[in-house]
Order: sequence, then C-alpha cells, then structure tokens
Amino acid sequence: MQEPIPGAPSASASAHFGPTGRALFKATQAIAIAGSLVFVALVVMSIVSIVGRKLFASPVQGDVEVLQMCAAFASASFFAYCHLNGGDVKVDFFTANIKASRVHLLDAFGSLLVGLFGAVLAWRSAAGALAVKASGETTMLLGWPLWVAQMLMVPGFVLLALAGFYMVGVHLRSRKLQAVQEVSA
Amino acid sequence: MSGIAVGCWIFVLLMALLVVRVPIGIAMFTMGAAGYLYLTGGDTLPLLNSLKNLAYARLSNYDLVVIPLFLLMGQFATHGGLSAALFRFVNAFMGHMKGGVAMAAIGACAGFGAICGSSLATAATMGQVTLPELKRFGYAGSLSTGALAAGGTLGIMIPPSVPLVIYAILTQESIGKLFMAAVLPGVIAMLGYMVVIKIMVTLKPEIGPAGPRVAWPERMKALFNVAPVLGVFLVVIVGIYGGWANPTEAAAIGAAACGILAVANGGMRLRGLIDSALGTAQATAMIFLVLLGADMLNTALALSQMPVELAAWVKTSGLSPMLVMVVILVAYVLLGCVMDSLAMILLTIPIFYPVVMGLDFYGLTATDKSVWFGILALMVVEIGLVHPPVGMNVYIINRLAKDVPLVETFKGVMPFLASDFIRIVMLLAFPSIALVLVRTFGG
Repeated sequence: MQEPIPGAPSASASAHFGPTGRALFKATQAIAIAGSLVFVALVVMSIVSIVGRKLFASPVQGDVEVLQMCAAFASASFFAYCHLNGGDVKVDFFTANIKASRVHLLDAFGSLLVGLFGAVLAWRSAAGALAVKASGETTMLLGWPLWVAQMLMVPGFVLLALAGFYMVGVHLRSRKLQAVQEVSA
Repeated sequence: MSGIAVGCWIFVLLMALLVVRVPIGIAMFTMGAAGYLYLTGGDTLPLLNSLKNLAYARLSNYDLVVIPLFLLMGQFATHGGLSAALFRFVNAFMGHMKGGVAMAAIGACAGFGAICGSSLATAATMGQVTLPELKRFGYAGSLSTGALAAGGTLGIMIPPSVPLVIYAILTQESIGKLFMAAVLPGVIAMLGYMVVIKIMVTLKPEIGPAGPRVAWPERMKALFNVAPVLGVFLVVIVGIYGGWANPTEAAAIGAAACGILAVANGGMRLRGLIDSALGTAQATAMIFLVLLGADMLNTALALSQMPVELAAWVKTSGLSPMLVMVVILVAYVLLGCVMDSLAMILLTIPIFYPVVMGLDFYGLTATDKSVWFGILALMVVEIGLVHPPVGMNVYIINRLAKDVPLVETFKGVMPFLASDFIRIVMLLAFPSIALVLVRTFGG
C-alpha cells in the first residue's frame, strides 16, 4: 500500500515462501539493514562535519562526495526487500472486488515487470559503471574512483530482479490454490 | 502525432497499467521507456544510454538524501516513545476543557508531525497512545477516531514533510522556504481541527466530557519531558532556514537527536534499531522506486514537449487563472480517491507546475507562486488520506479502534474535512498565509 506503518508488523507476505524464498527474503533483509546502517553512519559523519566546521573550522574533507556515493548504493539496497515485503505503492481501488485468483494473476504480471525493471537497471548500471571506470573519473576533493559507488548499486538491482521473478512464481502458485478454493466453494 | 497527443497516449496507457495493479513506479518507468522509444523512432540505443546513469544520477542527489534521513528520524521517534510524552504534555494543559482530551490528541499529533514527515506514522503512533485514553474518559467513538484520522494529516502538513521535499526537488525550489511556508498553514490546520471539536462538543456535550484538571507542578514536569521534541523541531527548521545547516545536515541532526532520545528515554534496543532500519528501508524504497519511474516518465514527457505545449495553450486560452487553479485542485481531490499522495505529486507536478507558473495570480513573483502552489498542492493531496473511498488514515485508525465501525469513523471525519476545505479556500484567497513567514525571515 502506501507508507509502512512503523511499529506494526509488516504484512506476512513471506508466509507463503518456500525455502528458496525464505533465503532470498533473508538476503534482501540483510542488505536493507546494511543500507540503513550506511545512512546511520552518514548521519554520524554529517554531525562530525557540522561540529567540526562550526567549532573548529575544519569540516570532514569531501563529506558531500562521500554522502552522495554512499547514499546511492545504500538506497539501491532497499528495493528488493520492499518488493518481497509487499510494500509497492499501487492502486488497488479498481480491483478491490474481483476474485482473489484474478488479483494474483495481475500481481504476477506486476512482479514480472518489477523483475524486468531490476534486470534492466542492474545491466545498465553495471554498463554505466564500467564506462565510468574506463574514463577514469574520480571525485573532486578526495579523488575516489566514481565507478565503485555505481557498481555497488548493482547487487541491489540484481536482488530486485530475483525478487520480482520469484514473486511471479509465488503469485501463480497462490492463484492456483485460490482458484481451486473458489471452485469448491 | 503532436506532442500533446503522444503525452496523452502515455497517460492513458499509464492509467491502464495502474488499474491492473502494476506498482506505480514500475508503470511510470514502463510507459516512460515506451514513450521514449516511440519518440526516438524505435532506436534502442539512446534509451539504453540514458539508462546507464538514471539510477546513479537520481539516487546520489544530495537533496534527496533528506528523505531517508527524515524517515529514519520518524522511525526513531516512533520507536522511542516520544508520542506518549507529547500527549501527556498537551493533555495536562487542555484535558480539563470540554472535548479537551480530543483537542490534546490533535495537539500531540501536531507535535509529532514536527519530528515526523509521515501522515500514516503519525496517525498510527498517536492512535495507539490516545485512543485508549479517549475511551477511558468516555469520548464518543466517532469523535475519537475522526479526530485522530484528521490529526494524522498534521504529520505531513507540519514540516518536516516528505511530499514537500519531493515537490522541492521536482521544481528546484528551496526546501527551507517550503518548510517555512508550511508552518503557519499547519498551525491553522491544527487550530481548525480544535475549533471543530469545540463546536461539536458545544452541540452535543455528551460526546466529549471534560477530564480532570492537572496541577501546575505536574504540567511543568510534562513540559520538561517534551522539551527535547521542541528542541529537535527548532534545530531542524531554524537550522535549515537560518542557513547554518542545509536540509540534509539538519535532517542528520534531527535523526541523531531522535535516535539518542529513543535510546535514552524510550529504551530502544537492538530489536527497535532493526525495526527502524527495516522501516526506513521499506519507506525509502517505496518513494525512490516511484521517483526512478517518474524520472523516466518525465524524460519522455519532456521529449514530447507536452508539458510546454499544454502550458502555452492554457496561457493563451484566456481561461481565468483562478478557474485553472480550481480545476487543478479538484483534479487532485479526484485523483486522491484512487492514488497515494506522493505518487500524485510525482505524476502531476511536471504537468501542472508549468501551467501554474505560466499564469498570473495576484501578481505574485515566480518564487512566491511556486511556494504557494506547493503548499496548496500539499494540502489538497493530504485530504485524500481522510476522504472516502481510500482514506488510508481512516483505515489505520479503524484498525486500532476495533469497537468503532468504519462508517462511524468516516462520519466522524466529515466535520474535520469541512475545516480542511475552508482552509484551502482561505489559502487560495490569501497566499500570504503561506508567504508571510517566508517574507518576514528573508530568504
């Protein structure tokens, strides 16, 4: 649905997962938590930089560059977890009253597109990172190679692709189960 | 095909994808990519090249980092038990009046909104704390749930506010100015809701009895407990506006302060930290996925020239600017029936913004106009959170207050919705409500 509700346990989407799905879910949770902790680290760095700048006129050198590079790959690590957790923003108003089996069919299509999106972005981001590596571009102040940050986004998108394709199977299986129940009911 | 025609086709097909439950970000991306391919004559190379940098360019945007940081701050505030302290504080001052406990709930929502940029989180967190109290004092179910569902929208109306950050990034407006502009309308919203409660309990005193009066020493103790919240808010808003911290740094300070408070007061432990991390991850991913899709869509729309052509057409059509604005606002209310507020802003601002900027309103300067429209759009999209059929806030509160039927809650929200509409008309007629603080404090 929309924003998640803090404190409330997330929808038990993972309840229907098999062993593969549970392993995938653990992996996406792990990199999502790692991504959040990167942001926590960025918070600490920003505080040190602000205090340094205000009190001692010596901010953390290149803090903006570090923040930008780290924020990019940390954000990319969140997508797969969100999809497996059923957190996509979607319009469910028009399909509120149709059979559950049809909803699963539609969601299988949606997950297929998510998988393709993840695969395309993983492929293009990797290609983009290699192009940047070839050109030898570095950050302005610290001279860090820029391609590393771009390449670090790739695992997040690969996991998103896997999550999307995996959910296609989950929805198709649930659809079969629902269809059987709907016929017998 | 003309640019407008291509743009319209993109939108029609996009809507079709949304109807069949394709995630909004993915639907926007798909139609953006398809439109781009069409406009470049079916050549895949330009598209593939533009995709190389799409994700990195967007996700490494410095201003955008504000969003995960504000979300982290909200998560810490939620897990840190600050909501209970806020309610006790406002209730100590207002609880003894008729309807006072409900007013205190509104005030506490506003306070929580000052450290949290999300409506649903505000409704859910404050609902958990205040609904049992309202019940204990014998408040009518529909008044309690209506007040909290409406009060939840203060989470977004009072800065920091995630939709305003998105608006600022889309329109290259200053986040600081928008936050400052949102303060007064947010306070008016809070007072408006309190007035609604006052009117309701005057008409029907039995729905909102007075609570016991709290002695001054108790009040001072309650004030002491919420002082940190006030501090965090001031640091964020004054820091950004005073210019000694940019929005990203202010968000970092806010997140750190709420994190420390959560550990020190609220007893946040490892479990709470992990939950905060996952909550931040999910909320960020939801928003950023839509943002990536919107980038692709906007690239295609810009290539089609549709926004420019539409804006030029509206400008020369001789339609009265106010009429155009009202049509836009009504369109938001209608879209709000089926769509999430952030998705609405991302989808419509690239189209509506050039139109609004091309028209003259009260002779406002370009900056004033864009700040004013941002606040107006924010207020209208937030109404979607409380009006039927979707009204997410209403559903959240309803889940917490199981003894109040959903219909009662929707009925209870109606008077508050009326105050929302009055406030929007006021802001439409008097842009100064948003602009006065921005002007007073320079900028």
